[in-house]
Amino acid sequence: MLTRLGLSVRPALAPVLRSTIRPTSQIAYRSLFIKTIPQPPGNIIGTVNDAYATPPPKVFAGSRHWTFERLVTIGLTPLVVAPFITGTSSAPIDAVMSSLLLYHCFAGFENCIADYIPARVFGVWHSAALGLLFFGTVIAGYGIYVIETTNNEGLFGLFKKIWTKQKN
Amino acid sequence: MLSIKSGLRTGLSKVILRTFATDAPAYEPNYKNFKVYRWSPDHPEEKPHMQDFNLDMNETGPMMLDALLKIKNEVDPTLTLRRSCREGICGSCAMNIDGRNTLACITKINKTDGKEVKIYPLPHMYVVRDLVPDLTLFYQQYKSIQPYLQTSKPPPEKENLQTIEDRKKLDGLYECILCACCSTSCPSYWWNQQEYLGPAVLMQAYRWMIDSRDDATEARKQMLQNSMSLYRCHTIMNCSRTCPKGLNPGRAVAAIKKSMAFE
Repeated sequence: MLTRLGLSVRPALAPVLRSTIRPTSQIAYRSLFIKTIPQPPGNIIGTVNDAYATPPPKVFAGSRHWTFERLVTIGLTPLVVAPFITGTSSAPIDAVMSSLLLYHCFAGFENCIADYIPARVFGVWHSAALGLLFFGTVIAGYGIYVIETTNNEGLFGLFKKIWTKQKN
Repeated sequence: MLSIKSGLRTGLSKVILRTFATDAPAYEPNYKNFKVYRWSPDHPEEKPHMQDFNLDMNETGPMMLDALLKIKNEVDPTLTLRRSCREGICGSCAMNIDGRNTLACITKINKTDGKEVKIYPLPHMYVVRDLVPDLTLFYQQYKSIQPYLQTSKPPPEKENLQTIEDRKKLDGLYECILCACCSTSCPSYWWNQQEYLGPAVLMQAYRWMIDSRDDATEARKQMLQNSMSLYRCHTIMNCSRTCPKGLNPGRAVAAIKKSMAFE
């Protein structure tokens, strides 16, 4: 308690203590089934007078990641809409569309994992979830490869088959 | 003689008064029910609960804060809440009233609808007691963005001047009173408040980024250059919806993202 009020720990010692001593009173685990990492009381690290410490800058996890996501989404829009208007599609264009769509889904799920299975709380489970996502993306990527090489109109052709009236 | 005259006068006036007197209407109290969140660290064995308070609206002031202070003064002095300015400029009385984060002092009580009012502390924060949330982390985050002017230029002799256009950029940003209504209404902040800075702090970060007198813009941007601090914002826009001062933190966060887009 004194530590939290900034009374007993000198600022110079605080970083050392932060890394070596775990807070004594910890909140309950978040999940009943998965052992999560206990968080400090009140989510406060250090004393009340310490500023929140930001992580080191990582441009590919920050702004470039964000911009890339947006560019993919913008690029995806005409590619998704066009076949529905023209009623046909070619394998190369469809392959580009499928790949962008795959990344779009990947980035979306990646954000979900960052939001709901944060490494801060779930530790290895966060990595496991990301691994599963990578695995699923690779499988889906292979699926796209198969569709594009066997089907004339690629993914769009597959959709066309589903919605075409069956001739008996 | 004098006494007879004055006696006559008072007698007369009594007769006149009696003629005009009407019956006072029976007093009709206008009760409204307030459900207030209660929890005390002195009684950790008791779970948080909602306590009912019936107040006569004829004897209560117009604002929610008036009702809460009436409860504290006349009904239950143990009710704990923060308040200071009672005019929406200090941000102390931020709380969740009828499902919306707002300031109790500038929220009117609807005295005629007969509905009950539910009052909670700011959502998803650690509660110190009753309606008082622990805002330590919020202030730690505010401190981390270094909310002060940083420049390598020597200080000017008098005022640090700006053009009118540059000054106008700060409008809608500098008015923030840091009541934490927006941050605590943000689902991203609920899930990841340890790492995501939240709309209030990000808006202040932007306020210093675009200040023409400040030279630390690059350093300020670098601080947000990771997946958590800024980019947990998914434009849910609860922040702009709830702001009791009518500001738009969502727009400020979007402006930061835009300015960092090609870095």
